[in-house]
Amino acid sequence: MIAQFEVLAPKTIQEALQLISGNPRAKILAGGTDVITGFHQGSSRFIDTTTLIDINHIPEMHAITETDSHIVIGAGTPFTHIVENPGVIKYFPLLAESCSVIGSLQIRNRATIGGNFINNAPCADSVPALLVYEAKIRIQSAISDREMPLADFLVKPYKTQLKPDEIVTEVILTKFDDGYKGNFYKLGRRRGVAISRLTIAVFGKVENDIITDIRIASGAVTPIGMRIAELEQKLIGKPANDDSLKEAAIELGKIILEKTGIRWSAPYKLPVMQQVCYQQLHTLVFGKE
Amino acid sequence: MKKHIKFLLNGREMACEVEQNKRLLDFLREDLQLTGTKEGCSVGECGACTIIVDKLAVNSCLMLAVQVDGAEVMTVEGLMENGELSKMQQQFIDKGAIQCGFCTPGMMMSAYALIMHNPDPSVEEIKTAIAGNLCRCTGYKQIIEAVSCSCGK
Ligand SMILES: Cc1cc2nc3c(=O)[nH]c(=O)nc-3n(C[C@H](O)[C@H](O)[C@H](O)COP(=O)(O)OP(=O)(O)OC[C@H]3O[C@@H](n4cnc5c(N)ncnc54)[C@H](O)[C@@H]3O)c2cc1C
Ligand code: FES
Ligand code: FES
Repeated sequence: MIAQFEVLAPKTIQEALQLISGNPRAKILAGGTDVITGFHQGSSRFIDTTTLIDINHIPEMHAITETDSHIVIGAGTPFTHIVENPGVIKYFPLLAESCSVIGSLQIRNRATIGGNFINNAPCADSVPALLVYEAKIRIQSAISDREMPLADFLVKPYKTQLKPDEIVTEVILTKFDDGYKGNFYKLGRRRGVAISRLTIAVFGKVENDIITDIRIASGAVTPIGMRIAELEQKLIGKPANDDSLKEAAIELGKIILEKTGIRWSAPYKLPVMQQVCYQQLHTLVFGKE
Repeated sequence: MKKHIKFLLNGREMACEVEQNKRLLDFLREDLQLTGTKEGCSVGECGACTIIVDKLAVNSCLMLAVQVDGAEVMTVEGLMENGELSKMQQQFIDKGAIQCGFCTPGMMMSAYALIMHNPDPSVEEIKTAIAGNLCRCTGYKQIIEAVSCSCGK
């Protein structure tokens, strides 16, 4: 039996902010795919929770709006809506792709993008794509309203900058000019419905055979989803040829080892990571074979 | 701490008092005695508890009963047509897509939700729709065939 709690269902963001303000024992309930299993299993994360604030009845929390320059996704938007949104598919295909391989259809019909990165598990599959797109998020409380890059929000595994009285309301994506391309890759234990062991998103631009911009983000192999800035710096300005890409893939192995330390799984994961990184960069530069 | 909820269940209007900390799965099985919906893993992995809420397949072990307030809910008990097995149910029997039957209600709910949106799905689309439903005995071939043959083809 799940511990006792009450469930409140506000209809506006303001109402939700009032309810969570000054109530440290309240938690947001979005898709519930982490919260409800957590309660059911008696997880220590929810021991003090006596109130759940269900955000599913707030229209702005699950709206996707598009302007000439941006796409704004309500933080409570379930993955199914993101995967099917024409604007997301067109301008942020890596996000559409990474969200389409999360869990099963039943999970994607409920689980939200906000819940995914707020939980900040190493294997949160939407994170690498959001990081290469340099997504910003909007965080509101009854008395504050701030925006920050998602990269700054994610502190360490299962820890973010979210304060107890705050709600993440929006994910803000800025559209890119033409010429950028990208790839996303997820490796799980099996093909269908699997928690990631390794994810990588690459996104960049090649002009006159020079790599003029590149962003590389990993998940699951690193402690949290993160950009590999050292590697990006090394690649920018390099000729877009096989040698540069091979060098980068080898370098990535070293960097990951520094970030995670040597674990029992390293001899298996590193070569796979290097190979996957190489393949993704290769596709980005030379197109699909 | 009970709460009053109203919702549509298999086409019937319902008004109930429900504990706020009760999962939708337990509410269906224990309070409403609709035991067609099964509990396998309790953590969203097996799909045995799949039902349809507002035209989408969901795991009822990952929702609270109070969350269906105002919603339209369909369980496997709602498949029956005029007291007879529906076409899909009959196809599951005819194609040998049932052995122990534990996965069957969830499997059919996932398939039914697919067909609601896409009356003529491809094998790939069927596979995606039932990827969250585990079957430990039959094997998926017969299940996919049964779903495929219930789409009026
Ligand atoms: C069977 C199964 C398979 C899965 N497979 C994958 C997978 O392949 N890849 C993957 O990345 N994940 C996977 N997950 C994990 C999970 O579905 C995601 O992390 C999900 O996105 C969490 O979102 P939610 O809306 O369900 O969050 P909830 O459970 O509702 O909330 C999660 C946490 O975030 C807080 N929260 C949520 N929204 C907000 C907000 N807007 N503001 C402030 N706080 C908020 C909640 O209080 C809670 O602490 C899987 C889960 C299950 C059960
Ligand atoms: S019991 Fe709900 S998915 Fe297994
Ligand atoms: S028939 Fe037994 S689990 Fe599917």
